[in-house]
Amino acid sequence: MRTLVQVDDLRKEFGKVRALAGVSFKVDAGEWIAIMGPSGSGKTTLINILGGLDTPTSGQAIVDGVDVARLDESGLSRFRAQKIGFIFQQFHLVPYLTAVENVMLAQYFHSTTDEKEAQVALERVGLSDRIEHLPGALSGGEQQRVAVARALINHPKLILADEPTGNLDEANEETVIQLFRELHNEGHTILMVTHDPAIGNLADRRIEFAHGRLVKVTPSNDASQNAYR
Amino acid sequence: MFWRLLCKLLRGSGERLAVAILALVSCAMVVSALLNLEFDIERKLTQEFRTLGANLLISPRNGQITSSSPAELMSESEVSAAIQSVKENNVVAAAPFLYIVGSAQNTAAVIAGTNLEALPKLEPAWRIEGQWKPAPAQRTACLVGRNVAQQLKLTVGNALNLTYLRKNRRLNVAGIIDAGGAEDNQVFVGLPEAQYLAGLPGQISFAQLSVSGTTTSISYYAARLASALPAYEVKPIRQITEAEGDLLSRIRLLIVSMIVLISVLTALCVLGTMAALAMERRQDVGLMKALGGSIGQIVTLFMAEVGVLGAAGGFIGAILGWGLSRWMGQRVFGQAISPRWEILPVTTILMVAIALAGALPLRLLGKVKPAIIFREQ
Repeated sequence: MRTLVQVDDLRKEFGKVRALAGVSFKVDAGEWIAIMGPSGSGKTTLINILGGLDTPTSGQAIVDGVDVARLDESGLSRFRAQKIGFIFQQFHLVPYLTAVENVMLAQYFHSTTDEKEAQVALERVGLSDRIEHLPGALSGGEQQRVAVARALINHPKLILADEPTGNLDEANEETVIQLFRELHNEGHTILMVTHDPAIGNLADRRIEFAHGRLVKVTPSNDASQNAYR
Repeated sequence: MFWRLLCKLLRGSGERLAVAILALVSCAMVVSALLNLEFDIERKLTQEFRTLGANLLISPRNGQITSSSPAELMSESEVSAAIQSVKENNVVAAAPFLYIVGSAQNTAAVIAGTNLEALPKLEPAWRIEGQWKPAPAQRTACLVGRNVAQQLKLTVGNALNLTYLRKNRRLNVAGIIDAGGAEDNQVFVGLPEAQYLAGLPGQISFAQLSVSGTTTSISYYAARLASALPAYEVKPIRQITEAEGDLLSRIRLLIVSMIVLISVLTALCVLGTMAALAMERRQDVGLMKALGGSIGQIVTLFMAEVGVLGAAGGFIGAILGWGLSRWMGQRVFGQAISPRWEILPVTTILMVAIALAGALPLRLLGKVKPAIIFREQ
């Protein structure tokens, strides 16, 4: 299996605060990785660096052959547009754009927009009847599904999800997790930050963080993957 | 998608942008009105100043011009030929004058011989009771000053006997002049009548001209006339031409200063609104960047939004400004200022520039770090 993500001795400091203290690991293409750990352990910082939203203090973070630490502002923009699909806990939809326009926004920054394709992406996440709705008119689960459609629309190499079910009720969480299962089965590479061990067990591997250090890597087994709900 | 996004941005921040567009429309309205005024002020002021009377004088060189002693005289035909030869569209009126001190009804009076037909244009501020006599009737008509009429108890239509040395003429009073100056003590007759009484056929004391234009153009015309009349002195009446030029410069400076001041204030108003908007949009910008939006793409989007605001504000304001300039012209000059189409694009472009200058805080959105924005949440 080809290595898609390679992290070597990655460090990030915010002033005197050390968010990442020499983290190293690899992720193969098509893997689903759950990143777990207590608050402040560096999970989100890692996701931000891998997604090109933040730069490391030192070390390497190579995604699909690109060392993110070496990219300038413009290179980071292209990297984010072409290789990464983000899914956030807070959904982060533009409130004055409809569901389909939120998806098209990602297309616009990637290359050209295709409304039909954006509609198909929303149909895929079960929102065919919510295409022209504004985020304010959608439930939390529906908003997150719009965010998933938006993350997938440009066929990214890597999907970075930061607590994607953290703001959802049980029913919506199940719907979203089902989507992730489908994505994984289709061969997408997913790095997901989660606090929920049950969701973590669905991943191929669980990487656990504490105080900015990688403390444990646990491969999941079939039993634990089937144990979700 | 760009235009779709732009429309959504404009609609999405409608209330806050309403403040900015209100400021831009107000600014454009005043700027458009002032620019209309600026373009038309010279014509209007020149018209106003022409009511003050002649502003160019042709006189004998070193001759003393007094109404009582025509010390040196000029040739009427020479002066007339020179005025005809130096053709100038800006000459509103020209009139020769021959002054003598004779008697009217046996009372001493200053008699001014001139072209009565030219007087209404030369001295538009004079008020008259009766009428200015047309040229063919000049030989039997005269105009008398208000004080003369009062002293001699003359009314329009009365006969008036004028005597100078041993000659006399009997003329009809066609009108009574109220000039508010020395002219109220004079009797105005046709030039041939004065020349007959004085025994000076073809001679004049001086000639007055009313010429419209700037100080420079009047001086230029005077110089051309002077070269055609080398034996005489041609000079602008400085008090009038200089006052005109000076007032024009001051009004222009005032207009430009007001345009600059209003533009700066509007830019500050837009700046305040955009600073608040920039704070509101930090999250959107963070998200756009996370989705791969480049600084150029994002800032272009917001600048286009501001540009549309400026263009709309400038266009609406410029049209309203035409109305305002018409009203101002009516109030100040008694006649509307005609709108000038070129002010529409000038005002619109100016408002776009002001809006973009005021949108400086939006440019700072390019520096927003998505990770920091998301961390704040």
